[in-house]
Amino acid sequence: MIVWALFTLFVAHVSGLGQSELYGDEFHEELLLKQLPSGHVYAHFQFTTLWENGGDQPNHHCHLFPQSLSEVLHLYNVDEMHLSLTGGLWRHENWGYPIVSAPPGAELWAWFKEGTEDVDKKWTLLSNALSGLFCASLNFINPQQSLNPKYSFAPLGAYDTPSRNRSLLRYSTLPREIVCTENLTPFKKLLPCDSKKGLSSLLSAGYIHNANYHSLGIHVRPQCKDVNCHETVLELRQTVSLVYDLIILGQESRDWSFRKLFGVGLAGSCPLASTSKIYVDCSTNGTSSVYTLTPDPTETINSNRGGYNTVFAVYDIKKTNIINMFSISSTHKGPRVYLLNSPPVLHATRYIVGYGQEHGGIVTKIHNNHWKDLDISLFENIPWFLPIYYHTLKISVNAGKQILKPYAKHYIPGRDRNRPYALELLVTLPPRSITEVYIEFDYSFLKWQEYPPDANHGFYVGAAVITSLLPHTKNYTGIPIDGSTFSSSINASRDTYPVTLHTEILLVTLPTPDFSMPYNVICLACTVVALAFGPLHNHTTKRLQMLDSCEESKGLLASLKLRLKSLLSKSSSEPEKSAPEQKREESKSKEPSQEGDPSCEQKIMKRKKTKGTAAAK
Amino acid sequence: MPVLLDPPEGCRRPTYLMVKHHHKLEMLMYLGGLLWFLALPSDHIHSASYFSENSLLPGLVKGGFVEDSFAKTLLVSLQDEISANPTKMPYPWLLAQFRQIGLDAYTHNFTLNYPLANDMTFEGQNVYGILRAPRGSSTEAIVLSVPFRGSKSVHPSTAAGVALILAIAKFCRRQKYWAKDLIFLITEHEQLGAQAWLEAYHRTSSGRYGVLNSGDLTSRGGAIQAAVNLELFSDRISHVDVKIEGLNGQLPNLDLVNLVHMLCNKEGVHHTFHNRANLGDREYNRGDPIKMWTYSLRTMAEMVCAQASGVPNGNHGLFHRFGIEAVTLTGYRKVDRGSPATFYQVGRVLEGILRSLNNLLERFHQSYFFYLLSATDRYISIGVYIPAVGLMASTLLLRALAVWRSLQIPTFQTDKEKLMRAQEMSNCFASVGITVLVAHALGVVLLRVPVWSALYLNAADTSLSVVIGLMSFTAISTFLPIFKSMHSDTLLLLYVIGLIELATILLAVSLHNFPLAVVCSIVLVPFALLVGGRRLRFLRIIGWFLVQPLLLVAGIILVYTSVHFPDDAILPKAMHAFKEALTFSYVDYAVYGNWMLSVGATFLFPMWFVLWIVVLKGNISTSKDSCEAKKGQ
Repeated sequence: MIVWALFTLFVAHVSGLGQSELYGDEFHEELLLKQLPSGHVYAHFQFTTLWENGGDQPNHHCHLFPQSLSEVLHLYNVDEMHLSLTGGLWRHENWGYPIVSAPPGAELWAWFKEGTEDVDKKWTLLSNALSGLFCASLNFINPQQSLNPKYSFAPLGAYDTPSRNRSLLRYSTLPREIVCTENLTPFKKLLPCDSKKGLSSLLSAGYIHNANYHSLGIHVRPQCKDVNCHETVLELRQTVSLVYDLIILGQESRDWSFRKLFGVGLAGSCPLASTSKIYVDCSTNGTSSVYTLTPDPTETINSNRGGYNTVFAVYDIKKTNIINMFSISSTHKGPRVYLLNSPPVLHATRYIVGYGQEHGGIVTKIHNNHWKDLDISLFENIPWFLPIYYHTLKISVNAGKQILKPYAKHYIPGRDRNRPYALELLVTLPPRSITEVYIEFDYSFLKWQEYPPDANHGFYVGAAVITSLLPHTKNYTGIPIDGSTFSSSINASRDTYPVTLHTEILLVTLPTPDFSMPYNVICLACTVVALAFGPLHNHTTKRLQMLDSCEESKGLLASLKLRLKSLLSKSSSEPEKSAPEQKREESKSKEPSQEGDPSCEQKIMKRKKTKGTAAAK
Repeated sequence: MPVLLDPPEGCRRPTYLMVKHHHKLEMLMYLGGLLWFLALPSDHIHSASYFSENSLLPGLVKGGFVEDSFAKTLLVSLQDEISANPTKMPYPWLLAQFRQIGLDAYTHNFTLNYPLANDMTFEGQNVYGILRAPRGSSTEAIVLSVPFRGSKSVHPSTAAGVALILAIAKFCRRQKYWAKDLIFLITEHEQLGAQAWLEAYHRTSSGRYGVLNSGDLTSRGGAIQAAVNLELFSDRISHVDVKIEGLNGQLPNLDLVNLVHMLCNKEGVHHTFHNRANLGDREYNRGDPIKMWTYSLRTMAEMVCAQASGVPNGNHGLFHRFGIEAVTLTGYRKVDRGSPATFYQVGRVLEGILRSLNNLLERFHQSYFFYLLSATDRYISIGVYIPAVGLMASTLLLRALAVWRSLQIPTFQTDKEKLMRAQEMSNCFASVGITVLVAHALGVVLLRVPVWSALYLNAADTSLSVVIGLMSFTAISTFLPIFKSMHSDTLLLLYVIGLIELATILLAVSLHNFPLAVVCSIVLVPFALLVGGRRLRFLRIIGWFLVQPLLLVAGIILVYTSVHFPDDAILPKAMHAFKEALTFSYVDYAVYGNWMLSVGATFLFPMWFVLWIVVLKGNISTSKDSCEAKKGQ
């Protein structure tokens, strides 16, 4: 009995330690579930770790913060780092805005600490280290593919100095990167509870990669410790964004449940977490569709933010008594209503125009549905093998009715195999307009070794990035810059709401050589050698001798006769004569015939003569 | 080796032989080419088709399409819509269907400013739905299109096709394996809608500026990898005909064609090429090789005719220009007894095609782009068929060589004479140059004649004025040479230049559109050879006059009409067809960028004109063979 009491005490102590009140470190796990206007279900996991002494001492005990990551950050002087690994494309037009935007493939951008020397080298080392950490091909990021944007990617952390040296920023994308289980497993290992307990136990690979859109994100930044912001803590936000298509998951059903989305139920919260909450966005309940959530939420919150009211059903897992498995499910009632899609204030598409493999154009179409002007910054990142023509840059509004002049342009021309083309524009979009940014490019030839094995698949061009400050929060779910957790976005009205959009990535078909050509060339070369080399070799190495033209001219019958004769003579003389004698005999018999045919001689002479006259003429 | 070792001096033996026997050689080469072409579909030459692209994996998966009853319901509903409004496409119905299935649906407006009239515009609207690939990021797309036809259309209704692709869209929407966006496109106004949509997708214009205003698309789906155009005339299909010939004779990749045939085979859908099924293997295979050959030859000839015209025989033909491999599947209504192919089977075929295309990792690049088909599963590759045109066109070059040599080697000796001769020749060159230039200038003018005559000639209708304009222009140019006299050497030189250019054109065309080059070679080469010569000059003139491009077209149309409509009155019908053909050739040129008219007007006509001068003025012979003369000395 005493032992039991001691054990419970110990467990209580350990779990108390785990919550790290001693050290001031915190871990929060949150899940937002939202039914998107298109009927898809958006699940956003966010695991936030706040490390009180992070960034100060390099060898400080990590507590909840993943040590592998902290070592990397310290070693390469990283202040702020944002990494995303994404499969699928976020469809802004139908889905609104995500909490964290990410382009298809991998994207990495980092701010290095003030005073870092040799940023490029540190950047390479960082990407290589992260490549190992997340089993992704981030090692293909090198300074030759990286950019140093001037206006976009402002630092998100809390810093002493208001403006930072832009040379400390590096940005790169790998649009071709395919995200899979091998990335998810190391991602989960960074969490304090791994995937053993808590919300992360819902992240089973089979179900996650079934989603239409899945994005892993790692976001590290220094964050204010409190409102006064005298001290900073290091904030690590690990996010998993998933968009499920219910039509694919289950036939003709709008209902969702944990089992349908994640395949498993929730066993409980992570013991190390300070908070463990699930938010279900119920704003549309009762208007476009009617559904009930089971079990009943712990509480219902009304969030009034930027003029838009959102209703969240909150499940506090810490407070929920979970006996078996916890699962939330929604059950719809009434007929399905097909809503007219109302796209968000700002969205964009990007595509290639033109055909053939000579030249083309890239069009970025930006829609502003707001009734007022909207300032945006557009960042185009075009690889070196698509040399763009800066003079063809055209920014037109509403199908060419108006030509826009950007506030500022920042253009760094690319260099072959050395540097991509970077173009940044600060533009004011007129109200209710479609702005089109058009630029022309050439398709360039690559060296034959630069083609990937599947050369005819095409080459990817990374997404353009649009950054803006939205005036209101329609379709907006982002977390305010001063908050760390999703709960901080509740009732967080601000003047403006920062938004980042990533457009589509592009696939271009470069002029591709026929790679079976070398084989053909070898065949051709061999044939040529066989046909030309043999005679040439003959002509150059063999001595030319006058042929016995008489023998030639005698015709078939005569030569046959001669053969027969020699054969007969051979057979008759063979028993008596030895070989050398026989030869002598033969040569003797030949000599008189050569001399004694005058007509033959004449013929040769005649032929020579004709040739001579022809040459003279 | 003699080529390498002998300096080009005097009468080299091969050249000498070639020139000496050029008449025989020409005959031999022409007949050889012709026979080679005719022998192509024989069992010894054409070969069985096969798949080059491994990732297509055709028919490997079990089909899952079960929405055939949904398609039938849709068909009934769509036919109600069409009968309620026979001319217009039921946009709201189509959009609603797409949205209900769960696709992003959009419309696309386009305007055609008719090129042969002022202020004559036609408007149209396409509808398309995009199924966003759950496993992709909209970098690649596959198009499934149907041309919509109202009940007033001259062509059979494709309502069944529309119903089927909607059902397929519904089926595909629930599958999670799509890696490429699927675009379901329903076009209006036959090929015009498809062309406008493609131009808008790529934001280019293929035809003349300002003719087709193709507008803009709201949404796209990345680079289109392949397209399938579906024309189903009924829900009970007797056979599916696979159409491949595209604009300007372009063909889709052979792998795609094979894929369609193979999947039809797998699903038990009767499939044909130019409405000709393969000769039943059991009946004839071991039987009669001659019968096999004639049957295959006829199939190949159908393909040659279709391809040579340069006009696409389905909406698929417009995709090829944009590097998109596309075929048309035309399903004909089953009228006789027997079990038809239903929505279920055709749907499975389409599902299989889409899934195979979805498997593609790279663009189609493996198999042939240049080929002839002599059956659904037999092909003739470019390496095998090109000698036919090569042989026929080379006869012209040989003749040119012979004439050139007869010009070059004079029979006089002294320096003074040589100098005078050189002077003469340089005069010849200037005169020939001007003549050729004038001929080509006439060709360029000819290209604009249809517009001018349509706009300024007030005949009963546009096509009539186009015909009158073209006829009068060519008639005038036919009589032009009368006013100019020419030296016989100049004529010979003109003949040489004309022959060389004609041969070059034929060879160049053969690389783009082999059937066109073959047809032109078969017709033009013998007459072009007959142009030079003394005897029976009148016949030679008549002969070359008959192959005047415009008359040639008239002749072909006359033959075509008499073969296909033997019961009707041929002449009026042929006249009507001729008018239409000329008008359409210009409209195709202005709207789709068809280069049939451009080639005819700017190359074939000038060449005809040059040789026409030669045959009209010339009293030339190529038989004076100087090498022979030299031998005699």
